[in-house]
Amino acid sequence: MKKENDQETELLVPSKTALEQERKILLALGTDIARVREKTDLITLFSKRIRSFFYFTHTIVTLIESKDETYTPFLLDHEHSPIFGHNRYGEMVAAHFSLNEPFIQAVLQADGPISFLLEDIMDKPQSPAFLRVNYERGVREILMTTLRNEEKPVGFIHIYTDREDGFSDEFRSIIKGITPQLASAVANIIKNEEILNKEKEKSFLLDFSRDISAVRTKEDLAFAVNTGLSKLNALRGYVIRKINEDGESLSTYIYDPGIANFDDPEWVALTTARFPLNDGLQSRVLESYIPLLFSVEREVQRGITSSYLHYWKKVGYKTMVGIRLHYGITNLGILWLGIEEINIQLLQGICFQISVAMANIMANEQVEKTQQEQAFLLDFSNDIAQLKTKADLETAIFKVLGNALHSKLSMIRLIADDGVTMPAYMFDNTLFVKAGITFDQMANSVITIDEPYTAQVLASQDGVVFNIEEELKGGSAYAKLWETTGLKNVYALPLRAGNKVLGTIWLHSDWLSQLVLRGICAQISVAIANIQANEKLLAYKKQLEVENDYLKEQIKTIYNFSEIVGTGEAMQEVYRLMSIVAPTNSTVLVLGETGTGKELIARALHNASPRKDKLMVKVNCAALPTNLIESELFGHERGAFTGALDRRIGKFELANHSTLFLDEIGELPLEAQSKLLRVIQERELERLGGKQTIKVDVRLIAATNRNLEEEVKAGRFRADLYFRLNVFPVNLPPLRDRQEDIEPLIHFFVDKFSKNTGRKIRKVSPKVIQQLRSYSWPGNVRELEHLIERSVLLSTDGVLQDVFIPKQTATDKQDLSFILNRTLEEVERGYIVEVLKRCAGKISGPGGAAELLDVPGNTLHSKMKKLGITKAEYFA
Amino acid sequence: MKIVVIGGTGLIGSKVVAHLRQWGHQVIAASPNTGVNTITGEGLAEAMKDTDVVVDLANSPSFEDKAVMEFFQTAGHNLLAAEINAGVKHHVALSIVGTDEMQNIGYMRAKLVQEDLIKKSGVPYTIVRSTQFMEFLGGIAGEATRDNEVHLSAVQFQPIAANDVAMFVAKAVVEKPLNGIMEIAGPERFKMYEIVERYLKAINDPRPVIPNGASRYFGGDINDGSLVPAGKASLGELNFEKWIASQLVKA
Repeated sequence: MKKENDQETELLVPSKTALEQERKILLALGTDIARVREKTDLITLFSKRIRSFFYFTHTIVTLIESKDETYTPFLLDHEHSPIFGHNRYGEMVAAHFSLNEPFIQAVLQADGPISFLLEDIMDKPQSPAFLRVNYERGVREILMTTLRNEEKPVGFIHIYTDREDGFSDEFRSIIKGITPQLASAVANIIKNEEILNKEKEKSFLLDFSRDISAVRTKEDLAFAVNTGLSKLNALRGYVIRKINEDGESLSTYIYDPGIANFDDPEWVALTTARFPLNDGLQSRVLESYIPLLFSVEREVQRGITSSYLHYWKKVGYKTMVGIRLHYGITNLGILWLGIEEINIQLLQGICFQISVAMANIMANEQVEKTQQEQAFLLDFSNDIAQLKTKADLETAIFKVLGNALHSKLSMIRLIADDGVTMPAYMFDNTLFVKAGITFDQMANSVITIDEPYTAQVLASQDGVVFNIEEELKGGSAYAKLWETTGLKNVYALPLRAGNKVLGTIWLHSDWLSQLVLRGICAQISVAIANIQANEKLLAYKKQLEVENDYLKEQIKTIYNFSEIVGTGEAMQEVYRLMSIVAPTNSTVLVLGETGTGKELIARALHNASPRKDKLMVKVNCAALPTNLIESELFGHERGAFTGALDRRIGKFELANHSTLFLDEIGELPLEAQSKLLRVIQERELERLGGKQTIKVDVRLIAATNRNLEEEVKAGRFRADLYFRLNVFPVNLPPLRDRQEDIEPLIHFFVDKFSKNTGRKIRKVSPKVIQQLRSYSWPGNVRELEHLIERSVLLSTDGVLQDVFIPKQTATDKQDLSFILNRTLEEVERGYIVEVLKRCAGKISGPGGAAELLDVPGNTLHSKMKKLGITKAEYFA
Repeated sequence: MKIVVIGGTGLIGSKVVAHLRQWGHQVIAASPNTGVNTITGEGLAEAMKDTDVVVDLANSPSFEDKAVMEFFQTAGHNLLAAEINAGVKHHVALSIVGTDEMQNIGYMRAKLVQEDLIKKSGVPYTIVRSTQFMEFLGGIAGEATRDNEVHLSAVQFQPIAANDVAMFVAKAVVEKPLNGIMEIAGPERFKMYEIVERYLKAINDPRPVIPNGASRYFGGDINDGSLVPAGKASLGELNFEKWIASQLVKA
């Protein structure tokens, strides 16, 4: 039975020595207890001190937990406890014993220590189990004392003994005496523990904060987190997951190197996987203001299928704590801890630090990424800038999309010239293979700017992102097609160059940066605009080439042999020479009076040569100022002389692989002659002021109305040049020597000018022909041409009645009077000399003077002998 | 069963805890003083471990509109999240009759938010809506006193004794979740000024009560019947007479 000490102590009269002993013990204990700071010290000191006066087996202190009205062991004496080896010892140490049962209520109600014989109480239905456990190890009696703090019960001192004689009254009295001190010692210990814990937390957070403040990169953070978290008690592992850029999934950001297992493919897969944010677990953490403790088993039973949860189960994690990492209102990710309990202050502190570091790193990474994106765009820009053709563009686009952006081009559509239809311009013919859509089908599908998706894109400033999943919900037919690509989004942007909308571009990707996307589209727009411009340019160029060919053809028909009118003997000779020399590369020197058609001959030679496909280049040596001739012929570099503002290609270079016609070669200044000679000899030239030697392949045709031999003699023309040019001379006869050609020429020019002026000249009167034939034609064919032109213009009806042969000039009149004052012999002599001259000294035979004078050759011979005409006279 | 009573040390909470313990349940009287804080989350996960039923009787420390809203929102959010994680099978909460009718009053808006959080949480629940407690009568009188006169509204008023509230709540805890709302009230209906007048008389308070004809409560206009149950309600056992008698004995 329980017995309370008060009745008995009151009956006994304590001896003086007993009181003295009690006082000593109390004093000593008081000193001991005041020194106590550590949990175990109290029990050790208490046991040791008391044990020296009284016998007991062991003592423990239990504390009351008010929230569930229980008491639980707080201070234990493992050393002396007889139940230490009991198989229920662990259970006892952790147990919460109810305050709502008679045994402990009796203790609470007692005013001081109260003892119980275990035998009496241990088997009562509500009695706490520790009574029986102690009894089983030989304990027979228990002395319970309530510890109070400000009158409120806070715990108990349990003192056990295995002796039958139990606890003496003196012992009870001492225990009662020291109870208040013990109570305050326990309170001190509790406070001290609290303070220590807080200190520990604070110093932990301080250390962590110091480590974190040095963090610059993800690797730094991983190191700091590992250093910090490894100090947490009972942490089995951790992982930080970061919300991905899509905002819909999380991926491993930092993991505990202590649990890394690269041999386990499942673990490796977890470190790279993207876990959907709304998997029923992560969403709960991210929505929670406080750390959440999860029972792995319960969440599995709840039906959550996330692979990481099942992995946790597999590796034997029972509970996990998830804490959201956030910066301001932005969620960054989750810290998962393999831990059994939550220390809110500490975890919030840790997570705050990690969040700040993460936000900083992400901001840094963003800056870096933006820079990379810009660099990337610059590269792309460089690639694009060099593009000329659509094929180049296609290569560049596919390269940049596939390699750098993990995206696919679905389609570029350009608005056609009608402004409404949008035919396909470029597309990836492999993209929809899975959907069974072929290249041709894609190419043939033409839509208009009013197609709903297209209209939406064209109306947008920076394009539209279509989430394929969302679009599918709307039942879009396009979305079903898009879905087959396996990529999440379609990015559609309008292509604009300046103010002009070119079309649309459609890309498939899981995610694309806005900056890159906009940048690329701007580049592609410009490239397409350039290519289109280039294509137009090429088209124009082609057209011009065709036109040019046509014009050349025209020129050819105008200037060809058939253009040369006249079938007279003199011309036949010219034709013969021409047909010999034309196909060769030989230099030709065309000689003849002014207006005899030297240029016509030169063109005919060119057109009959293998070089006819290129234009003949003509230089009129007489028409150029001396100081410009060289630059005209050989070109000059920029700055070669004052006024040489640009590089200029000379006529020689221009005539490369063609013919250069040097008209009026006799007028060429001496200085230029030597240079020309060099070019002819070396077949290469240097531009004025230039260092580079340029090889040229030019055929030369030179023409002059001067007598070059005389010019050479007079020193005005270089002999060596003359010999170079005079390889194959062609002499053009003057018109007065081509009497028989005059009539065909008249008809030719009449026709020509009739056509040009629109006047129909049906007939040329015989009188006119007679007049023209008798004229001496100092201006040769050119004079005839101009005369006919003038006459055609002046003619009033369809018949050319009059020609306007120039009136006799003063010299002519002089000539006439000179003739009139001479004797017949003198006139005869003069005339014969003149004719001989025209016939180049030929007396008889075809083209001889005898023929011209219509006398037999012998008659002319004898006449010349008679009149004393010497060779020197007509070979002058 | 293991039952956690949030606000378990308060007026109603302590009584509920006592009842449940008496019925042999393992009860945790949770409050910031006992180391369970629904705002900071401290001790919450630990308390929820193996818990079958959670009773939320916590009240905001401040009645200012914004603070009240923040309190019920945060506390409700945290508590329910912890309950879901711990697999709690029943959430019992105490609310106020007419909450949805008096949305012009900040406190009522906050209570409705609390109710809505519970309804959509997925945790099986019972919401007990109570009329005002008889224990508030002194406070109501004090609040309405101007120049030593108590000016009070004539709206219908059906106060219930805290002991009855605690019993209803405790019973709701051991019953199956209603997944709905039950209303409780006192056994008698008065005009507000009437009952306060009787109360003051009973405690020998000399202040006169003057009906002002206004329909106001908690600083907001209300309807005549807003504070009393509109339909069927469970009525408490203690009428005013019995209650006041017990109060006087205690004093």
